[in-house]
Amino acid sequence: MVTEISKNNLIFLLSAIGLIALPHVKHIAPTVFAFFCLMLTWRFAGVWRPRWLPNKALLFVLTLAGIFLLYSQHQGILGRDAGTRLFMTALALKLLEIKQQRDLYLIVYLTFIVAASQFLYEQNIFMAVYILLTCGVLLATLISLNNTKQDNVLALKTAGVIIVQALPIAIALFMLFPRVEAPRWMVFKDPHQARSGLGDSMEPGSISRLGLSDERVFRVKFAGALPPKNQRYWRGPVLAYTDGKHWKQTQSRFADARRDKIKAQGRAYQYTIMLEPQDKNWVFALDMPTHFADDLSMNANYQLTTHKDPNRRTEYRMTSRLDYNTGEITPDEYRENLQLPKAPIDKIIALVQRLKGFDTAPETFIQALMQHFRQEDFHYTLMPPLMEDKPIETFLFEKRLGFCGHYASAFVYLMRVAHIPARVVTGYQGGEFNQVGKFLEIRQAHAHAWAEVWLQNRGWVRIDPTTAIAPERVEQNVDIEQQIASGAVSFIESDAAQALSWLGDVRQLWGSLDYSWQRWVINYNSANQARFLSSFGIETLRQMLYWLMAIVAFITALLSWLLLRGKNNNTDKVLIVYQRFCRKLGKIGLRRKPGEGAVDFACRIKRACPEHAPAVDVITGLFVKLRYGRHPTQNDWLKLKKQVALFKP
Amino acid sequence: MHTSIDRLLDSANQIILGKPRQIRLALCCLLARGHLLIEDIPGVGKTTLSHTLAKLLGLDYQRIQFTSDLLPADIIGASIFDPDKRQFSFHPGPIFNQMILADEINRSTPKAQSALLEAMEERQVTVEGTTYPLPAPFFVIATQNPAHQIGTFPLPESQLDRFLMRIELGYPDFTAERELLSGKARHTLIETLPTLLPQVQMEAIQHAVTQVHVAGSLLDYLQAIIVFTRTSTDYPSGLSPRAGLALLNAAKAWAFMDRRDAVLPEDVQAVLAAVAGHRLRSGSHDSEAIVAPVLEKVAIP
Repeated sequence: MVTEISKNNLIFLLSAIGLIALPHVKHIAPTVFAFFCLMLTWRFAGVWRPRWLPNKALLFVLTLAGIFLLYSQHQGILGRDAGTRLFMTALALKLLEIKQQRDLYLIVYLTFIVAASQFLYEQNIFMAVYILLTCGVLLATLISLNNTKQDNVLALKTAGVIIVQALPIAIALFMLFPRVEAPRWMVFKDPHQARSGLGDSMEPGSISRLGLSDERVFRVKFAGALPPKNQRYWRGPVLAYTDGKHWKQTQSRFADARRDKIKAQGRAYQYTIMLEPQDKNWVFALDMPTHFADDLSMNANYQLTTHKDPNRRTEYRMTSRLDYNTGEITPDEYRENLQLPKAPIDKIIALVQRLKGFDTAPETFIQALMQHFRQEDFHYTLMPPLMEDKPIETFLFEKRLGFCGHYASAFVYLMRVAHIPARVVTGYQGGEFNQVGKFLEIRQAHAHAWAEVWLQNRGWVRIDPTTAIAPERVEQNVDIEQQIASGAVSFIESDAAQALSWLGDVRQLWGSLDYSWQRWVINYNSANQARFLSSFGIETLRQMLYWLMAIVAFITALLSWLLLRGKNNNTDKVLIVYQRFCRKLGKIGLRRKPGEGAVDFACRIKRACPEHAPAVDVITGLFVKLRYGRHPTQNDWLKLKKQVALFKP
Repeated sequence: MHTSIDRLLDSANQIILGKPRQIRLALCCLLARGHLLIEDIPGVGKTTLSHTLAKLLGLDYQRIQFTSDLLPADIIGASIFDPDKRQFSFHPGPIFNQMILADEINRSTPKAQSALLEAMEERQVTVEGTTYPLPAPFFVIATQNPAHQIGTFPLPESQLDRFLMRIELGYPDFTAERELLSGKARHTLIETLPTLLPQVQMEAIQHAVTQVHVAGSLLDYLQAIIVFTRTSTDYPSGLSPRAGLALLNAAKAWAFMDRRDAVLPEDVQAVLAAVAGHRLRSGSHDSEAIVAPVLEKVAIP
């Protein structure tokens, strides 16, 4: 029986399987993947050496080995990983058991499932394209299995045509088929995966590590104009408690009712923010968010948090205003924001005194301190020296090297010494504008820390001490590579970066493409679907299904029409009219045989019913002229139509 | 032109009685510039038919009786030493005529057969390095006894393919037979026949035949027939591309003789048995039965 299956088909199928299983090397256990590779290689060898293939007993042992491998890893078959591995193992074993054509079909369908399982791990655009291409190869295998003629190029071509024909229906189904939330076991959660990002606390060096990370945190698309560059502060966790070295979030104990409402004015910026998956339930917002979605809530520190699973890419719409006043604070809050780990050393008190921190208005002291940072020998670097012990004192008086975290914490510390409520705010600053997609892209490199001081009548006011030392850090994006090279921030935009601007363009284009993919494909959940469809007036499930059926029916009809039209030519309408004539004759029992020519048929009709001879002659003559003649005219065609219409047997 | 054809057919029908269709097919074959193979038992008028056509068309006519000891030189001629001129000179054989009747072609050896068939294909002969063109027009009408008779060398398929048509004459019916028996001797009648289609007119007709219109839908039908013969289990091998062309040319000639300037499926059907019969199954000689499945099963698109 084995001989019936052609080598060509087998090679085609095995190559497709290899291609489809390849990306799983990243996701499934090495032992299972090795087992799979071994079986595939064995089968490949079997194409040329059929005698090397295992017999029944060996196959049984292999199956036991496969089951043991699975069980040793997962103790079950439920869940994403275990399920995928089960399919992989089953496919590997089935490969060694190809006896009939039917087995090949089973393998092809199993491979389709394995291909689909890739999307449980990765949903990026590359993977989608890759799987589509490999599925094309698989489809070509299926075609050549059903085709007696071995023509690989033709099979691939046909597969391509089938995929292209299926695409419109796939898109319609994608857009209109009711989206269901994935059941729990399918949620793509992986507890072992560590994610970088802002933490609950800030300690020396924590933000500088982020400064080197190119990883995307979120993307923002503004409905209208963008806020000015130096106002793009994306608010994150607020850190009020310090032990002199670390800064931490305080437990928010304040009831919302006791707080003043934020009074915001000025231009309202509307935007959509799309967060990458993260561990924390924080949602970054442009300082200060005034309107936001219902599934978000704002804590006492004006930071937004979400009730949804943060481990998935999510989208929020919100509005922010740059000009705001948070009003009064509670006594508890006041106390908390003056907290110091222990009494400050004399040198610090002397510094505050020198800057007139104790006897002038807070605004004046802030100005004086900023002036101090600017005029003294302070430098900005992402690679500061270690300041393990007494970091603030060491930074202020000895090293004078640091980045936003150092400046913000030193600033807040000095404010608190001067009895001005202050705290550290972490988040992101700036963002990279994507020219193609017209959105801001915020990466880990944009992580930032700044200070907030509470001033009478003005509420919490943002002060960014880093701007005193390195205004470029705020007003333009820092070239990370440059920093690594020189060990310090460059204040001038590098020529090299400009020379490679096309590379930047490519990156932006890719970023935009990826954004669209994430936004319109991956993140197309039930809420987004409802929103998208309601813009077309489709509101209910019933409407959705009606539209779905209508569109699929329309596409099917269109494709069928295109398919049939290929065979249509001008003479076909002649044939249709002639067939109408034949149907009329069929009613009186005269049916044209398939191989009977029109003239022969006419002779038969005339013999059967001589009274119709003239009409039959005219119709047959016109038909023959139109279908086989040299120069049929439009007039002949009209005459034929008329004669057939008039003809009554 | 059409009147000359009709008159020619009328005259031929007076000589060969009761066989109008076969005569029509034979003329059709000649108008399509093809060679004709007549297969039947001796004495049914094969020679008479060919002689009649030659006479009516005003062509030089030569009959070659094929026997088992016939040599190629007996057909194409030979170089013979001329003692007066003291050199070899070529003496053309009987093949140097416009119409050849190769009588009982399957009685000769394959060697002699192939000498004739090569000349048919090339329309020239080469003797000792010199090429001699054959006269134009050049027609071969070969007759063949049914293969089951004793002492025959059946023509292989490749050589049967060179004949555009194969027709069978069959016994005359009762009235025709009576007329034949009561009438004059045929060969005396043939001698009195006038030339009804002179050579110039013949060439004009042959040219007009090539100009007959063939519509795409007719080619669809023709191809459907060809594909059917290739895929059907009824036939050991299907029609070759050359057979397809032969079918088309014959159909064109048939359409022309029917006073039409476009080919109809009926034309293809009319010539199908004669053109395809011997190509589809060489052993059998009932062409109509051979092609019956084609006519029945291939739908006219």
